[in-house]
Amino acid sequence: MTAARIGLPTALMHSYYRSFWKPFFEELGLEVIETGPTTKAILNKGIRYSVPEICAPMKIYTGHVLELLDQGVDWIYIPRFVSIRKGDVFCPKFLGLPDMLKHTIPDLTSKMVTHHLNVKHENIACMKEYLEIGKLFTSNYRKIKNAVQTGRKKWLEFRKYCVLERYNCQTANGKVFTGKPALQSDLPIKIGVIGYVYNVYDDILGMDIISRLYKLGANTVTFEMLEQGEIDRQLRGYKKRLFWAFSNKLLASAHQFFRDATIDGIIHVTAFGCGPDSFLGKILEINFSQSPKPFMTVRVDEHTGESHLQTRVEAFIDMIAKSKNFKE
Amino acid sequence: MKTYLGIDVGSVSTNIIALNEASEVLSSKYIRTNGQPMECIKNAMKEIARDLQNLEVAGVGTTGSGRQLAGIITGADIIKNEITAHATAAIHFYPDTRTIFEIGGQDSKIILIKNGMIVDFAMNTVCAAGTGSFLDHQAERLKVPIEQFGELALTSTKDTRIAGRCTVFAESDMIAKQQFGFSKGDIIKGLCEALVRNYINNLGRGKTLTPPYLFQGGVAANVGIIAAFKKELRHEIIIPRYYNVMGAIGAALLAKDYLEKNGYQTRFSGFEITDVNFVPKTFDCNGCPNACEVIEVTREDTVIARWGDKCGKWTNEISYSPPGYLTEAACS
Repeated sequence: MTAARIGLPTALMHSYYRSFWKPFFEELGLEVIETGPTTKAILNKGIRYSVPEICAPMKIYTGHVLELLDQGVDWIYIPRFVSIRKGDVFCPKFLGLPDMLKHTIPDLTSKMVTHHLNVKHENIACMKEYLEIGKLFTSNYRKIKNAVQTGRKKWLEFRKYCVLERYNCQTANGKVFTGKPALQSDLPIKIGVIGYVYNVYDDILGMDIISRLYKLGANTVTFEMLEQGEIDRQLRGYKKRLFWAFSNKLLASAHQFFRDATIDGIIHVTAFGCGPDSFLGKILEINFSQSPKPFMTVRVDEHTGESHLQTRVEAFIDMIAKSKNFKE
Repeated sequence: MKTYLGIDVGSVSTNIIALNEASEVLSSKYIRTNGQPMECIKNAMKEIARDLQNLEVAGVGTTGSGRQLAGIITGADIIKNEITAHATAAIHFYPDTRTIFEIGGQDSKIILIKNGMIVDFAMNTVCAAGTGSFLDHQAERLKVPIEQFGELALTSTKDTRIAGRCTVFAESDMIAKQQFGFSKGDIIKGLCEALVRNYINNLGRGKTLTPPYLFQGGVAANVGIIAAFKKELRHEIIIPRYYNVMGAIGAALLAKDYLEKNGYQTRFSGFEITDVNFVPKTFDCNGCPNACEVIEVTREDTVIARWGDKCGKWTNEISYSPPGYLTEAACS
């Protein structure tokens, strides 16, 4: 008997939790199908099936789901992210994602594997959440427990590379799955990039901003490199946190980046029409307008013109390089 | 005579200037691109060669949205983004400047300067409201030649409020105002003010705009806009003498600086290129679902450059690599 195939859409939170999900489902005896980097074809599929007003990351996710259906997988795992920290929630679009997809893609209903992810810690690998999922595929309790533990170990390894060795989400996944170390060289400039993983590391949306910066002579740091304790410490000064889990992480990383003297400039990558980012962007603007550190917001959307991004990023790096040369 | 060429290929105009060794402008050409950048570059180069005798080109820099193409056919020493180029030229002529307003055909920017260096900038995003194309379009609608647009605005003494946030809304506002009996001058004045208000609100948001103000780019020819700027800022603004070719001047200055600092020789392909047949072409690669649009430039049936593919399958195939982004960080 061949193993049932389960699809993981390579979008939204996938790059952050891939190292848990993939081994988890594999341990359950399933064959895991990933859609890989977003392509124009996937984006176009997503746009065709989505309401026009929704943000590009959601359209891209829809495209990946359609791609998996086309590949004829047996199951598609679409979790409903509710909370990964007490008091923090996810953007309403994440809360409604499985329902939205079910109603836009009728064929999906019988294949969708979903559940509420409502935990107190960003380490989502726990039996409380994944027992029900495991039961869909096996009645063996030990097997499920073992799968959760295997996944958990991998995910912790992933986080270890991010936090201790300063890998970003993409390179840390590469390290965990293929053992390939990240390209690291000491470049003259260091830029803090603030953005959700599904914007920054998406091939179409993020337009390779990390490697663009690298080619221009700049290393980058991102929020994944901070551990939760550090995130909470940075936000201690706020009477009230933002509602959204990852927006809080970004806000905290911004504070850290502005304080860190080795970071030369900060770029906020945001998707057009992002609700949480409209708050985050404004808070950054108010809190850091007096900071001498260069700050730029780059707005990305489903359009594919890269020249605007390239011009801005180049000018930003030129500006920093020039003032650094001057100081030295 | 040693000369440095600067080429700025924009969406609306293509500008070429020649600088001497003392960084003085010898000749400048401002030509409407009309969707034919290749022909424009060639024609302007021909004119420059005709204007200036015994020209010895010591360096070439390109900028603008067509900088890559222009750089490849001319053999440019440096290919720079337009923000750095504009600021370089502005600082060259006015070292004390603090704020640069630049409004071109399809984009607009605000660049903040401190101690002769860029400290912050903003560039318009997806919308072209508030740029030269918007004015062109409205001038056409009102049947006023764009050259007289500004003067007409100055004839009005009334305040006419027009929504400037969006081209479509501005247009419906204008139609309404026409029906209420406002003169063309009133409407154009209102339009100029709307454009400036929109520009400063959008790009200047959260930034402190400090004088001296510099206003450059093609739209700086429009006296109506200049008046609107003065009114909005309650301050004088400086229009540089070469306001419409500042990007090109910046590119030439950057090329000069780069070559002098590193002691390199120019890679300029020579004025013969004006007689060479260059053909740019675009094709969709079908190697993967990305379907990248690959741009290919041929010179007399030989492919000299390709770019635009994500994976580098086409770019890597040819030996001549355009002076790319990698070198840019090194030279600043």
